This record gives sequence, C-alpha cells and structure tokens, in this order.
Amino acid sequence: MSNRDRGQNASLRLPEAGQWPDKIALGVTIAGIVCTTIGFLLAFLWVPPVGGATVSGVALIGDTMVSQKMLISQKIFYFHMPVAITSFVALLFGAYYSVRYLMTNNERFDTCAAIAMEIALLFVVMTMITGEMWTRFEWGVWWTWEPRLTTYLILMLIVIAYFVLRNSMSSPEARAKASAVVAILACIDVPICLMITRLIPSSIHPVVLREGGMSPEMGLCVGITVVGMFCLGFALYRARFRQVRLTQRVEALKETFGD
Amino acid sequence: MDPILADIYSTVIPSAPYIIAAYALLWVALLVYLLMIARGTKKAQAQLQLLEEAMEDVVVEEIIIEEE
Amino acid sequence: MEWGWRKLVAVQESKAPRMGALCKTPSAWMQYKTLLKKDLQAEFRTKDMLVSMGIYALLVIVVFGVALSFARPGEEFLEVSGGLLWALVVFTSLLGLNRSFSRETENGCLEGLLLTPLDRGVIFLSKATANLLFLAVVEVIAVPLYWVFFSSFAQVAPTAPLMIVPLVLGSIGIAGIGTLLSTITAATRGKDVMLALLFVPIIFPLLYACVAATTAVLVGGALMDSTFATSLALAAGYDVIMLSAAWVLYDFVVGV
Repeated sequence: MSNRDRGQNASLRLPEAGQWPDKIALGVTIAGIVCTTIGFLLAFLWVPPVGGATVSGVALIGDTMVSQKMLISQKIFYFHMPVAITSFVALLFGAYYSVRYLMTNNERFDTCAAIAMEIALLFVVMTMITGEMWTRFEWGVWWTWEPRLTTYLILMLIVIAYFVLRNSMSSPEARAKASAVVAILACIDVPICLMITRLIPSSIHPVVLREGGMSPEMGLCVGITVVGMFCLGFALYRARFRQVRLTQRVEALKETFGD
Repeated sequence: MDPILADIYSTVIPSAPYIIAAYALLWVALLVYLLMIARGTKKAQAQLQLLEEAMEDVVVEEIIIEEE
Repeated sequence: MEWGWRKLVAVQESKAPRMGALCKTPSAWMQYKTLLKKDLQAEFRTKDMLVSMGIYALLVIVVFGVALSFARPGEEFLEVSGGLLWALVVFTSLLGLNRSFSRETENGCLEGLLLTPLDRGVIFLSKATANLLFLAVVEVIAVPLYWVFFSSFAQVAPTAPLMIVPLVLGSIGIAGIGTLLSTITAATRGKDVMLALLFVPIIFPLLYACVAATTAVLVGGALMDSTFATSLALAAGYDVIMLSAAWVLYDFVVGV
C-alpha cells in the first residue's frame, strides 16, 4: 500500500460522529437555547434597571423610591459580556488545538482549530455589534479608541487575517502549520494588547470603567447567559465540525473513486 | 405625566432602537452562521448521494461483465 | 552568499568525527555568526533592499509633508509627531521584511540551509538580527531626515534624545515578529498584502507602547513623568514574550 493510499484511507476512517461530544451535542444545544432564553427574559423582566444620572426629585415606581434616570441601554450588557467571554474562550480553544496540532501533526486538530477560530470570529462579530450599539447610544459616537474596543478590533483583525492566510496557502501541511502558529500568536497577543492599552491611558480618551460592581441579580442573569452562550458555542462548533468532516470525507471518496 | 417620572423614563424611548438592533443583529449573526452550516451539510450530502449512485452503476456494470 | 555557503559547509563537515580530533564542533554562536555574515554580505553586495527602504522612507516623509501642508501646527504637532514617526518606521520595515525572506526562497537557498544540521532557532536569531541591523541603518538615516523636514513645526522638549530607547525596543520587536511572519507569508499567494495583514495587528501593542513613549519624550513635562517608564516597561515585556514565542514557533514554519 502506498503512502498516499494509506493517507486517503485514514481520512476516510477518521471519526466524524459517535464520540462523546456528539452524544451530548443535542442536549447541550437545547440547554443553550433554554439558558439564553431565560437570561433574555430575566434581563428584561426581573433584574431591576440600572440608575444613571440623578434627577431633581424622587418618584415612586411600584413600591421603590427612584431618584435616578433609568438606563435601559444597559440591558445590552447582559448579552454583550457573555458573548465577549465566549469569543475569548473560543480563541483559547483555537490556540489549544493549534498546540495539539503542532505536537501531533494530526490533520484533525487543524480542522478543530480552524473551526474554533471560526466560532471565535462569529462571537467577536457579535460582541462588536452589541458593543457598537451601546457605544453609539451612551457615548454618542460609533467608535472610540477605548482599550476594550481597541483590543476587540485587533482580535477581529487577527482572526480575519488567520482566515485570509488559510485561504492563500495551497499545501495543506504548510497551511496547517502556519495557521497554528498565527493562532498561538493571536492568543498571546490579545491579552498583552488589552493590558498595554489599559495601562497607558491615551490622553484624549481616558479609561472608562463600563460596569461598576454587579448586584446579585445582575450576576445571576449574566451567569445564566454565559452558560447558555457556552452551550450555544459548543453546539455550533460541533455542528460545523460534523459538516466539515462530512465534506472532507466526500472529497476523499471522490478522489478515490474519481477514475 | 409627572415631570420627575418623565425625567426618569427619558432615556427609555431613544435607547429602544439601539437595544432592539443589538439583540436582533445578534440573532441574525447566529442564524447566518447556522445557515452556512446547513448549506454545507446539504451540499455534502447531495454529493454523497451522487457518489453512491455512481458506485451502484459501477457495481452493476461489473456484475454484467462477469456474467458475460 | 557563495562564500557563506562554503564556510558553512566547511564548518558542518568539521563536525564529523572522522575528520580528526583537531576539528572542533562549531558552537551555536559560530553558526549564528556565519549565517549573519552571509545575510549581511548578500545585502551589502547589492544594497538594493537598503536603498529601496531608504527611498521609501523619504517618500513617506514627502507624503506626510503634503498631508500636513494645510495644517498650521504649533506645539500640538509634538503630540502627533511621535505617531507619524512610528508610521514611517512601520511602513518602511514592512517593505524590508517582505524582501528579507523571499531572497532565501528564490534560488533554493532555503533547502540548502535546512539540509545543514543547524538548530532552527539559530536561523531565526540570525535572520532577526540581520533584519534588525537593516532597520537600524534605515532608521539612522530616516529619523534625522524626519527631524530636518519637520523641525520647523515645533520645539521639542530637552528629553528628546531619549527617543532612542523606544526606537531600539520597537525595532527589536518589529524585527523579531517580522522575521517569523515574513517566513510564514513567503509561502503564500499575494505575500506582500498577507504580511501587512498579519504584521500590523500583531505588532499593535508594541506600536502603541512605543508611540506613547516617543510622544512622552518629545512633549516632556507631565506626560513624560506619567507614561514614559510604564510604556518602556510594557514594550520591553512585549519584546521578551513575543520574541521567545517566535523563537519557539519558528521551528514549525521554516521549510515546510
């Protein structure tokens, strides 16, 4: 058997379903949908709204005395932060699979890393969307070079560059190695970026601490949404993984029976 | 309406479009990704079916050749 | 390059025990020196990379001049000038980095290099040092030029000569990360754009710290006291972390 045949058979035999993640995938999907729905409902119906600027007087709403402007825009935060955390976790997984790939040279980990990075990109885009909406309303601008915004922009650019790099290389092995290195660099670079932009305040835009302490209700709501978003991220990852593996197997079959 | 109460609620209406847009775009992004996965799966499955049919033809041809 | 090769081969041959007890095993330092010498000789024979980098830097300065031609800058120019200087450094170094590795891939030099039993880390270090030296040469020309063209805009603070510290730290980081990334992108389609696409976001934290330090030095006063030391510490930290990461990861990207 030639080396090439063996490689093809290996890719035909690669497991694409039936491991433990697939057994829990459906349950996790449902859990994700349930948790995010509960989080959404809690955010709007249960958690008391956060107060803003003090108004000139006191009014009675329900059975509490209120003396501050109601900040409904803060409700974006209940999904913004969980999405942001999930995007970073996805990036960590991308880097982890990249390290595994470099250690084992197993093509499967390259696929895993690429899909984890895709999930990271999706959640980064979602973070940017929610963050932008909040920034536009609260600060009145579409963009400011605030540390967290800057860091997320850089993260997004690196992940996009990761995919452009993957598309611009034809040899699978070289592509896998180069993109693994870039994923690891991204994972090291992004925390440094946040730290540096935070520790060196730029003169024009001072560091804005967006959230103060969280009340227990807020914490619970964010916690439930974080769990839900993790579950959704995992479900999406698994669905995409199955699809990509299926496509790869079909390609391998086509090559085998091509003639 | 009581002016103080009006002041308290003053940011609710202007911020509503942004909140709705944020949540709506969030789900749109998720759905687009899901759609991409679904399309990819469909395409792969269609190709798999084609391959299976082609395989069947090959097997039938081989049987005919053997019988001859 | 020829000379460097022959010497390299000779050095490697001397490693073989049959050659006799007189021959010493070349140390990593020797290998490093030989490789570096090869790169420098190849460049100084034609000087085309240095010349194009220098002219490019001058052209960027001209573009800055046009961009500022309708502004009436006074003291506030100092707050912009640190950033402009770093824009100049980044664009010029991108041009140099693009060329630095394509020379290896052109004539199959890379295959020869990888055939010799060298540690890949040594290849990385010698390449990075060569890039750093080229960048330093260009900076030695470009920074005074920048000064000549824009010195009429504002009077700098007396701390301005300290600018050399962020320049050194920034150049080290740019050369290190740039060497790794230019090796990666040498094998891609459209490698020039690809290098910029990877290089700018990854270098961003260092760039930010260096711009802060340079501006602090030029403006002086309170900004100098508050940000200079922090920015330099952070830039140095970035250099250490990213250079060690690049050194470890270089094994995987060279010659696959």
